[in-house]
Amino acid sequence: MADNNGTIKNDIKIEVKNLNFYYGNYNLLKNINLFFKKNSVCTIIGPSGCGKSTFLRTLNRMNDYTEDTKLTGEVLIDGKNIYNRSVDVVELRRNIGMVFQTPNPFPKSIFDNVAFGLKIHGIKNKEFIAERVEKCLKYAALFDEVKDTLYKPAFSLSGGQQQRLCIARAIATNPSVLLMDEPTAYLDPMSTGIILDLITSFKKYYTVVVVSHNIQQAARVADYSGFFLSGELIEFDNAGDFFTRPKDKRTENYITSRF
Amino acid sequence: MFNLKYKDDFYKLILSVFIFGIILIFLTVVAVMLYYSYPAIIRYGLPFLWTKEWNPPKEIFGAATFIAGTFMVTFLALIFAVPLSLGIGIFLEEYCPAFLRGFFTIIIEILAGIPSVVFGVWGVLTIVPWLRDSIEPFFEKHFSYIPFLKVEENIGYGILAASFVVTFMILPIIASITKDSLASVPKIIKDGAFATGATKLDVIRDVSLPHAYKGIYGGIVLGFGRAVGETIAVVLLIGNQAVIPKSLFGVGYTISAVLANTFTFAVISHIYASSEVELALILLLVSLIINLLGRNVLKRVIGGKFSRSQFGGG
Repeated sequence: MADNNGTIKNDIKIEVKNLNFYYGNYNLLKNINLFFKKNSVCTIIGPSGCGKSTFLRTLNRMNDYTEDTKLTGEVLIDGKNIYNRSVDVVELRRNIGMVFQTPNPFPKSIFDNVAFGLKIHGIKNKEFIAERVEKCLKYAALFDEVKDTLYKPAFSLSGGQQQRLCIARAIATNPSVLLMDEPTAYLDPMSTGIILDLITSFKKYYTVVVVSHNIQQAARVADYSGFFLSGELIEFDNAGDFFTRPKDKRTENYITSRF
Repeated sequence: MFNLKYKDDFYKLILSVFIFGIILIFLTVVAVMLYYSYPAIIRYGLPFLWTKEWNPPKEIFGAATFIAGTFMVTFLALIFAVPLSLGIGIFLEEYCPAFLRGFFTIIIEILAGIPSVVFGVWGVLTIVPWLRDSIEPFFEKHFSYIPFLKVEENIGYGILAASFVVTFMILPIIASITKDSLASVPKIIKDGAFATGATKLDVIRDVSLPHAYKGIYGGIVLGFGRAVGETIAVVLLIGNQAVIPKSLFGVGYTISAVLANTFTFAVISHIYASSEVELALILLLVSLIINLLGRNVLKRVIGGKFSRSQFGGG
C-alpha cells in the first residue's frame, strides 16, 4: 500500500492513520491504517466482535455518544481530520450517509423519512424536497413500489423495502461517502440481490464502505477488501487479490472456511 | 368435565378465571354504584348534574359545584404538571449524565410513593402561607381586574393551593413514565437519525417523542386518574365550600372531598346517601370516559402534531 501512496494520493477519499479505539480499558481497534479510494466499493469482513462495525462507526463519529470510549489517531476525509475540534459533526454526517444492519425507518411517512435529512439541514423549498425525495427513491430502486403510497407510514413496508427506504434516506443529503453496516443481514435473498446491485451502481456517485458477514456478498460488490480479526486489520488489498490470493494465512483461512 | 389434553389448556383456563375475576370486580363496582344511586337518579334526573345547590336538610341535591371543583383542580394540575414532567423525563433520559440519572430516578420514585396525606399536610404548611402572604397580595394589587385571577378572600386555601399540591403528586408519575417511554425507543432508530446529521433536539422531537407518545400518554392518563380522584390532600387545601369557584384563588369543593367529608353521616337520610353515591358514580364514569375516549383524542393531538408532514403531505 505504502509504495503507491504517492501516485494515487488525489484519488484517496478516506485515510485512516494509526487509529486506536478504546472502550473503557479495552483496546477495541488496534492501530488501524488504511485508505479508501474515491468512487470505489470497499468491503470490510471479519468474524463477529472483530471491531468492524466499531471501525465503520469511527468514520462518521457515531461513537461520540457512547460513554466511556476513547479514540486516538486520525481519520482524514478529503484530507481533513474529522476528529479536529473545529469539525461540525452535523455537517460531517450530511456528507456521510449511513445504512444500518436492521432497517430503521423513523415513525413517519415514507416521504418524510427521505425528507428528514433535508429538513434538519434547513432546506425548506418544497419543490426541491419533493424532487429530491423522488430522485433518491428512484436511486434506491423503491420509487415504483411506493409512488402511490408516499404518505403512508414507513412501517407499512416490507423489511427489504424498509432497507431501501433507509438507503434513500441516507443519500438524500447528497453525501459523498456511504457507510453500510451489514445492510443485508436480515433480508431475504431477493431483497439482498437488489441491494447488492444498488451498491455496485452507487460507486458512480459515492465512496462506499460496506461491512459484511457474508464473504460471497462482499466479494460480489468489492473493489477493495479488508479483513479484521480481534481489532486488528490483518490484510487490505484490491478485491481480486484479496479473495483469490490472500497474502496472510489467517485471511485465507477465514475466506476458505466460508466459501 | 373438561378434557384437558394439554397442560397449556389447563393454564389457559386458570388464567382466564383470573381475567374474568377482574371483569367481575369491575362489574360489581358499577352495579353497586348504580343500585344505590338509583333513588337519587330517579328523583333528580339529569338536572342533578347542573344544579348548584347542595342542601341536605331541604333535600335539594345538585353536583355542579363538585364537578366544577374537580375539573378545575384536575385541569390546573395537568396544565402545571404535564410540561414540567415532560421536561424532567426528557432531561433525565436524554441529557442527564449517567452518574446522576440513577440518583434523580430514585428521588422521583420516592416522591411518587409519598402518601397523599403527607403532601396535604406539607401543602397546608408551605403552599397555603406562601399563597396567602406573597402570591395573593401580589395578584390583588396588579391583576384584580382579571375576573379569573381575582382574590376574594385572602386566606391561601382554595382551588390553586389544591392544584399545586396535586401537581406535585402527579408530576413524578408522568415524569418517570415519560423517562421510561423514551428509554424504550430503539437505539438503532435514534442512531439512524444521528447518522443523518440530526442534533439531539432533532432526534428527541422527530424520533423519540413520536415513538414514545403512547407511553407518555399512558402516564398522563394515570396522572389524570390520580388527580381526579385525589382526596385527602384536596380536602386539606381546597377550602371545602360547595360553591362554583369564580377565580383561581377562590375556595371550592371536589367530588372526592365531599364524599370523604360527609359520606359517613350521609346515611342519616336515604336520599342524601343515594345522592352521594351518585357523585361517586359520576367520578367513576369520568375516569372510564377519560380512559376510553381520551386515548383517541390525544392520539390525534400529539400524534397529529408530530407526524404531520411538513411538506404538504398527509
